[in-house]
Amino acid sequence: MRRALHLQDDRLFECYLAQRQGEGADPPTAEHLADCESCAARYAELVLLMDGVRAEGEAEADAAFPPERLRAQQQQIARRMEAVGRPARVLSFPGRVVQSTIRASTLRSPRWTAAAAAAGLFLGIALGATYEWDSQPGPSAPAMSARAAAPKPDIAADEDFMSELELALDRPHTRELAAFDAFTPHFREIRDSR
Amino acid sequence: MNGDRKTAPDADGVPVSPAPSGAAPGRPAVITAVSDDSRIAVEVRGLVERGAMDEARDRFAELVTLHQRRASRIAYQYLRDVAEADEAVQDAFVKVFSRITSYREAWPFEVWFTRILINGCLDRRKARTRRDRWSVGGGISATNEARASMARPEGDPERQALARERRARLAAAIDRLDGRQRTVFMLCHFGDCTPREVSAMTGLNESTVRVHLFRAARKLRALLGGKL
Repeated sequence: MRRALHLQDDRLFECYLAQRQGEGADPPTAEHLADCESCAARYAELVLLMDGVRAEGEAEADAAFPPERLRAQQQQIARRMEAVGRPARVLSFPGRVVQSTIRASTLRSPRWTAAAAAAGLFLGIALGATYEWDSQPGPSAPAMSARAAAPKPDIAADEDFMSELELALDRPHTRELAAFDAFTPHFREIRDSR
Repeated sequence: MNGDRKTAPDADGVPVSPAPSGAAPGRPAVITAVSDDSRIAVEVRGLVERGAMDEARDRFAELVTLHQRRASRIAYQYLRDVAEADEAVQDAFVKVFSRITSYREAWPFEVWFTRILINGCLDRRKARTRRDRWSVGGGISATNEARASMARPEGDPERQALARERRARLAAAIDRLDGRQRTVFMLCHFGDCTPREVSAMTGLNESTVRVHLFRAARKLRALLGGKL
């Protein structure tokens, strides 16, 4: 009995790998595959599956990366490689601001500017003091008593104002509020009842 | 099986090692003959060391052309988002150029570059997980919709719908793989890497890579019901 045992799956897979690399299967395996229909069918099925998986994966990846995408990728790589080996680029925006700030802070003003500022300050203080003395004397005792004796607010005027307000609310364009108005005691009624 | 890791295990499955400075101790050098891209990388390194940056950039553009499509496939399969994959690829190339002086011929340029790319993708996946933890739903579906519209195949609507469904099933199945299995599977199947190259990229033994690959294939077959 020549073919007592069939080939194991791992042997079949080794055979597939060897054939993919361009090497032939080892002689006993090749001989068995030539003689045994069952193993040959299993091997053909394995090759079909593996080649299908491979072809499908490659087709999908190639569809995802068409030639134009690969060209764009190449250009992008070239652009990024330009930056390799070059010193880091300093961004111009903050640099300009910092330079102008430094320039402004290091400007030397002439001496007369300081003298004029001091003279202006002195004059201002002197004039201010004179004005305070002449026109606005500090609060005195009679002034405070006068402020305490100030007239009380006019209650009658307030009552008149409230009455006017009520009369204004009685106008036609406030008719929607009439229901609320009916529940509210009127100021003039209270006043008249006194 | 896990004892052969040279670096601390990563949550998402790939060992994240510093840039290689030579062959790993106890393991043979990965390549014997210098490939075209490795030769260009050595030239770029020399130009950068001499300060001829413009020339270095021009030469490096050739490397970008050579690896761009493959890198985009890997990043896309890893991140499942076009814009993010695009950024990850750009970042990887720029990073490689800025660190080109640390490149050593002991490892192929492809391995070095892919390693940097995958590290970037892993960082992005982690950042996305953190972001998604705090964000209210809706972002993922929007991304998926954008991706679906980008990856729409030509043809009649029925075929388009079937293709979309197939891709969604496949993406979901790959996403359910264990972190290491997923990385190894994607590098091998979508990155066109041999198990030996994947071993160099991830720091796993070649036999471990083969085991992960087999387990990933078996799990995928079960998840996909034996057919795609």
